[in-house]
Amino acid sequence: MRKKYLIGGIILLVVVGYLLYLSFGSSVSYYVTVSEFFTRGTELYDTNVRVAGKIADSNIGWHADDLSLKFDITEGGDIMPVIYQGAKPSGFKAGSDVMVEGKYHSDGIFRASQIILKCPSKYEEAIE
Amino acid sequence: MAETGYIVLVVALAVAIFSAAASMVGARIGSRRLVSGARTGVLVIFGLFTLAFALILYAFVSKDFSVRIVAEHASRDLPAVYTLSALYAGKAGSIFLWGWLISLFTALLVLWKRYNQQPGLPYTLAILIVVQIFFIALVTFGNNIFERIPSPPVDGLGLNPLLQNLGMLIHPPLLYLGFAGFAVVFALVIASLITRRTGAAWAIDVRRWAVFAWCALGLGNLLGMWWSYNELGWGGYWAWDPVENAGLMPWLLGTAFLHSISVRRRRNYLHNWSLILIIFTFALTLFSPFVTHGGIESPLHGFYGSPFPPYILAAILVTLIGSLTMVSIRSKDSGGEEKPASLISREGAFLLTNIILVVLVLIIFAGTVLPRIVEAVGGTTIALERSFFDRTCGPVMLVLVFLMGICPLLGWGKAAWHSMKRNLLFTFIAAVVIAIAVLVSGAGNWYAVAALVGGLPLFTICLEWYRGTRARHSTRRESHIRAFFSLINSNRARYGGFLVHIGVIIIALGIIASSFYEMEKTETLNIGDTMNIGDYQLTYSERILKQDNVKVGAVASMSVSRNGRLKGVMNPSYDYWFLHQAHFAEVAVRTTLAEDLFVSLVWTDYDPADKSATFRVLVNPLIVWMWVGGGFFLLGGAIAFSLEEKQAAGVEA
Repeated sequence: MRKKYLIGGIILLVVVGYLLYLSFGSSVSYYVTVSEFFTRGTELYDTNVRVAGKIADSNIGWHADDLSLKFDITEGGDIMPVIYQGAKPSGFKAGSDVMVEGKYHSDGIFRASQIILKCPSKYEEAIE
Repeated sequence: MAETGYIVLVVALAVAIFSAAASMVGARIGSRRLVSGARTGVLVIFGLFTLAFALILYAFVSKDFSVRIVAEHASRDLPAVYTLSALYAGKAGSIFLWGWLISLFTALLVLWKRYNQQPGLPYTLAILIVVQIFFIALVTFGNNIFERIPSPPVDGLGLNPLLQNLGMLIHPPLLYLGFAGFAVVFALVIASLITRRTGAAWAIDVRRWAVFAWCALGLGNLLGMWWSYNELGWGGYWAWDPVENAGLMPWLLGTAFLHSISVRRRRNYLHNWSLILIIFTFALTLFSPFVTHGGIESPLHGFYGSPFPPYILAAILVTLIGSLTMVSIRSKDSGGEEKPASLISREGAFLLTNIILVVLVLIIFAGTVLPRIVEAVGGTTIALERSFFDRTCGPVMLVLVFLMGICPLLGWGKAAWHSMKRNLLFTFIAAVVIAIAVLVSGAGNWYAVAALVGGLPLFTICLEWYRGTRARHSTRRESHIRAFFSLINSNRARYGGFLVHIGVIIIALGIIASSFYEMEKTETLNIGDTMNIGDYQLTYSERILKQDNVKVGAVASMSVSRNGRLKGVMNPSYDYWFLHQAHFAEVAVRTTLAEDLFVSLVWTDYDPADKSATFRVLVNPLIVWMWVGGGFFLLGGAIAFSLEEKQAAGVEA
């Protein structure tokens, strides 16, 4: 009986381990803020990354013809222009915390495949 | 008022400290006076907690913006219905609600005749009171829920429009009902370790509370998905976000616990394992809300790291170390456990289910906390994409669904393998035939997989049900319909469980179909333009502007045809909320049993001359079955829960 469990357990671990191994490598991306991104020089260019910052006050442009959304995100004094193919998510506004996922190219524009706003369930704006 | 509320809570805290000590000491030295004092204490705590609840609600209803929590989450124009949503939109409010539910349950234990004569009760109470002390301390000294603002604003910041939704009104309380229920199960278990009393009656109590907590948590999670689908506008319902994971993990472990405890009821087996499961389930519930509100930072829920509150971590560690130590001490003086006769038996299958569920939780836990651990150790921040979870958890969950089909065929003890083989073969062939038929019909590969994985368990469950009904019909001469219902009545745990399984399988089918066959299209249209998606043609016919005192909304009219036949008009809207200075889309969904047509108006100018608008349209197959499955789940859970009433009367005592 013991042996059976042992063998079963090992098979299970191997399968799970394999699944984890397969998934892990391709699913991990760097997650940095705008200023952290730039302090790394060109290291993170052209790789899939997530960048966090605030939506800048100016330069929010929606282009209905080609369905692209252009805006800047800022953090720690740095600015990063972003282009996203898709609509503005609900609640998108200047000053909001945002996380963009995609690639930064040497032309100086971040092409986002996904933008995520701070979740409403943590909408804790504090009053001073 | 706010000051009164604070004082009420502090008094409750003092009473709680006294009652916890009295209950524990009283039970130890056998003092009836101390124990009954503690019982009164429990009721007093509940009364004070409720009074504080009323006071905080009053602050919300009277729009007293000098109270911080009101100013931060409500506004003058907030509809009264969403007062509760505003209360638990914040961290302090949700902890408060959760603590109040625990105090309600503790009071029920005292008032319920069934419990109040049990020798272990004083310990159960003491543990629950200690938990309450922790919660009350959090909302008074940690993060005073009644805190005033020195210079109150004229209007509050308001509640996020996304949270002004029926789903969000019910989703959090259901989760907290589940969490609070698991706290009771945990307390019953620890008390049993102290008193060494783990008889049949104890097992029934534990199971009953666990069924309740588990159902509430399961439905809470499902409702969260419903909200996400109908309100967030991205057309999905699950993103493997840490917050979602945090609600899912205790539910999965709770599932494992329900299965192991049912083995334990039949056989002297898996006892310690069950105890360990419930301890971790409880610990995970503690972990969970602090992920939601400012604990582990996730892409969706906040951005710049704020450390996991150390006192929560301390509470979790103390809970785990303390209770696991007790389990190990007690396990020495309990006799050896039986071993399952064979893996091919119901207890063997339950064991397997348990292991798979635990593995699933481990994967999700690893995926949830790993980015933070990497950050703490290596200094670099990383993110794990949802594909990680899809790839690892997806297959494991499919195996689980498949197992649901095999379990009903297995008997307790050593299974009669030859009789089972026939049943299994029959259903397996049936499932394969259907899967091939689906494949040939061209519906798609994943539908075939879904039919195979979901079809087998649905078949076996229905077959078992049919057999039972037939047997009753022939032996007791009951009509088929009567036999069907009295069958359920005869073993509510079993048939309630069947219904729950059917619900889960249906939900799984909805998930598979909608994740693999979703169609999506975004287009900008002018009045009169038509867009096509799947079999649908959507014509943008009109846009009107509506304004009230909270928002200005653009409501579009889309006439929907399917294969050329007019089906109706859909009205998605795009609203600008003045207070929040942002746009929020209100989606329109047309639901049929086969698929949902999901239309979101994602952009339009409010310019009367230019009515062009951008629409994001999705076709989500079978999604309604997720909510239908939820109905089965609820019904099954209620039946399984109701079982114990009879047993409580002494059938199995």
